[in-house]
Amino acid sequence: MSGMINSLYNLRLLDDLAKKGTSIHRVHPLIKLLTTVVYLTVVVSFGRYQISGLMPFLFYPVLIFALGEVPVLPILKRIIIVEPLIIGIGILNPIFDHQTFMFGGFTVSMGWVTFLSIMIKCALTVTVALLLVATTGMDGLAAAMRMLKIPKAFVLQLVLTYRYIAVLLEEAARTLRAYSLRAPGQRGIHRSAWGTLAGQLLLRTFDRAERVYQGMCLKGFTGEYYTGKSNRIRIIDLFFLAGWISFFVIARIYNIPMLLGSLLTGVLN
Amino acid sequence: MSHHKLEAKELHFTYPDGNKAVNGISFMVSHGEAVGIIGANGAGKSTLLMLLMGVIFPQKGEVIVGDVHVTKKTLSMIRQRLGMVFQDPDDQLFMTTVYDDVAFGPRNYKLEEKEVEERVLKALELVGILHLKDRSPYKLSGGEKRAAAIASVLSMQPDVLIMDEPTAALDPKSRRRVIQLLKSFKHTKIITSHDLDMILEICERILVIKEGEIVADGETREILSNAELLDSCGLEMPFSLQDCPLCGSQKQSLKKLNS
Ligand SMILES: Nc1ncnc2c1ncn2[C@@H]1O[C@H](COP(=O)(O)OP(=O)(O)OP(=O)(O)O)[C@@H](O)[C@H]1O
Ligand SMILES: [Mg+2]
Repeated sequence: MSGMINSLYNLRLLDDLAKKGTSIHRVHPLIKLLTTVVYLTVVVSFGRYQISGLMPFLFYPVLIFALGEVPVLPILKRIIIVEPLIIGIGILNPIFDHQTFMFGGFTVSMGWVTFLSIMIKCALTVTVALLLVATTGMDGLAAAMRMLKIPKAFVLQLVLTYRYIAVLLEEAARTLRAYSLRAPGQRGIHRSAWGTLAGQLLLRTFDRAERVYQGMCLKGFTGEYYTGKSNRIRIIDLFFLAGWISFFVIARIYNIPMLLGSLLTGVLN
Repeated sequence: MSHHKLEAKELHFTYPDGNKAVNGISFMVSHGEAVGIIGANGAGKSTLLMLLMGVIFPQKGEVIVGDVHVTKKTLSMIRQRLGMVFQDPDDQLFMTTVYDDVAFGPRNYKLEEKEVEERVLKALELVGILHLKDRSPYKLSGGEKRAAAIASVLSMQPDVLIMDEPTAALDPKSRRRVIQLLKSFKHTKIITSHDLDMILEICERILVIKEGEIVADGETREILSNAELLDSCGLEMPFSLQDCPLCGSQKQSLKKLNS
């Protein structure tokens, strides 16, 4: 149960990471948002059977991890949380897709290829989205979305939902702590208390979220986020955007690993 | 200067679950006055402050700030002039760093970032937590959080400062600092607290609330030395007015009052 309470601290990890000041963090939020959107679109646009073509797209997250000083393990953990969902979606592919191909002497269903491709795409997209939050912060993102003229109501919804998750988990941790202190030597929560605890939790988080929102309103919050960071897009930001977009497009059109491979074999021959 | 006047007229508020928390409260606070609101747990102090701020609206009665009635329409104007520190600092800190939290208000009023920075640093300095500016609010101790919450309101430079138990959970030094700070703040103040010694130092006037009604409204020393009244409201005379517990000698201040 203390694990649950500890994870509270991890929950705000993305916020903490976003406070760093690396070269990646200094890139304008709007630029990072656009780059990420292009990345996601391009990765998702790959066909069901293409796997090798996806490999160059590892390059972007790896570079952000390194330059943005983002620790790899905590992010991986978060991806693993999402993967079961994807497995649920993709697991039927090997059953329904009856095409087969030979791989090292085995007959393999094409379904496994599509399954693998879905898993890779999912891992890539989730990683890049998490990296965006970890190097920009939710407030920076909200500001960027407002610059793109995305409606206030929508951005506000997103930001408050993000805050709400933190509030929910904090309340959960408190409730659990209170419970475990008065139920020593018990593992987990007894069945008889589930209903009350869940109900309590819901009511308390509503209450708390309401009060936090009121606190924001009292300080003049009208739905617009001001991060206080400079709003100007620098030349280097534009290079960042142009560079990555051209890389993504080229990697989409040409299968770089295949080209490299044939180049190598050509040289060897 | 009538524009910092604050008036409550016949306020009634019942929570949705039928809990009658405020039951016909009227009072007026004039410019520059420091008013303490005291009463037992559950007397309705926090609810009253929420009504003043327009966080909740009374079922009957009205609040008037300056010459403006507090309604949904005038709310944003009213809130520029009133600053409130909540009872629970967790409700007031929601950004990722203390600095951003304190800067949240000024930024919402679209001040230049230069001016925002000045205000933030000044506010943090005033409450003595400049060294915490880059920390995450949720990782602070209870008292540090409270100091941060106070700073986040000071940075908005309100005309009227409303505080719900500002010294709860503070260590003696920080408590002293907050008291000094409040004393140096020349504008209108409305403070609720169970720390009657603090109220005695800061406020010249006290409202005593019991079960949602005002039972006494008067000069601080008079009310705080009225043991009977305090006792009937679940309160106790502040230590600084009690007779010495060691030798039993009567307090100088009381002697003066009684003579
Ligand atoms: N959200 C709520 N829903 C229903 N009833 C409430 C709610 N909040 C407070 N109350 C009730 O309203 C009454 C007044 O509460 P309030 O919080 O104003 O007391 P208080 O004077 O601030 O007490 P304390 O000194 O403990 O802070 C109490 O009886 C309380 O039970
Ligand atoms: Mg209260």
